[in-house]
Amino acid sequence: MTTDDHRDWKLSLGAYALGDLLADERAALAAHLEGCPECRAELRELEGVAALLPLADPARIEQPAARPPADLGARIEAQIAAEAAREGREKRRRRLRFGFGAAVAVAAVAALLAIVVLPIGGGESSPAQQVKFASMPNGVSIDASLEPHAFGTEIHMYVKGIRSGTLCRVFLRDARGQTFSAGTFRYRWGDDSEAVLSSALDLSQATELIVHAGGRTFMAPVRQATALVSGAEIHPA
Amino acid sequence: MPALTRERDVREAYAAHSGELYGFAMRSLGDAGLAEEAVQETFLRAWKAGERYDPEIGSLRTWLFAILRNVVIDLGRARAARPRVGPETGIEPSVEPLEQALLAWQVEEAMRRIGEDHRKVLLETHFRARPYAEVAAEMGVPEGTIKSRVYYGLKALRVALEEMGYDD
Repeated sequence: MTTDDHRDWKLSLGAYALGDLLADERAALAAHLEGCPECRAELRELEGVAALLPLADPARIEQPAARPPADLGARIEAQIAAEAAREGREKRRRRLRFGFGAAVAVAAVAALLAIVVLPIGGGESSPAQQVKFASMPNGVSIDASLEPHAFGTEIHMYVKGIRSGTLCRVFLRDARGQTFSAGTFRYRWGDDSEAVLSSALDLSQATELIVHAGGRTFMAPVRQATALVSGAEIHPA
Repeated sequence: MPALTRERDVREAYAAHSGELYGFAMRSLGDAGLAEEAVQETFLRAWKAGERYDPEIGSLRTWLFAILRNVVIDLGRARAARPRVGPETGIEPSVEPLEQALLAWQVEEAMRRIGEDHRKVLLETHFRARPYAEVAAEMGVPEGTIKSRVYYGLKALRVALEEMGYDD
């Protein structure tokens, strides 16, 4: 086999992969492939592409690619800037109200093995329930607020001090011991945002908020219209 | 390195990927307004979940497409739940399963990206099933040239697909 022959065979591989060669050409190339690992390898690659071609619609190929309107990027940026401003305001407001500051930290240490449920959040008009897990391993904190909705309960979680990347699974439990998933989130070191989750269980039916994180289980009782709750437990898994 | 947590990251991601995301949204939803909505929602969700993006797991492009896929499913459901209003666009939305629609769109986009000569030869010989000799006569080149363009066309298509993240 000469180099030129090899090159000629190679240039026929595309037509071969697409099944376009006449029977005698096909047989001759098949004979070459028997003894040419390089062409066999190339054929495998081309056959992979050839197999995808039937998915494509030739009419769509010939249409110019659809392009987004010129102002879409600016609209998205404006929306994100507005969301960022709104979130910033809410975060500041929450921190002021529920005090993530040093004074509260000192108070939390003093109350180490007692659970503190802060007064119902959101002012008089809001039925949201703010829960702070106080009895936690050193440096770890989980704050949660629960809001009733027609679909169930919305849960805002704010976690600090656990290993970055830890998967957190959240559940609500009712009085009969049935658990309702509220979904999962991951804590990322340096992340200052809160996870927003939802569960199908009605807040009025919920008795416990359960968080599985890093092989441990943290539980806090849920009480409607109660300012102080005791008896939270930590059960290492 | 976290991505998309700052507004500037979003701007860069938009510049790099909005064309493709919009192209796929348009193909799946068949409506320019819905496609815009899908792209907007995709970047908003990406920004909100920006800390969760891990470049070690996959490219930003792959991540954005995964978000877009969910957005398209949500928009498709919302549309199915309400009666059709407004003018017809003339382009029918894709009815293939979404994974297949994404692959089909990638092949079509790759076909648009390869050279004009290669694209034309593949369109005429493969998609329109015309004999090589006929296409050669029409293009004024020897038949062997058509055969080699099929070969180089498929190779170029493979490269274009790989650039878009396709991995067989």
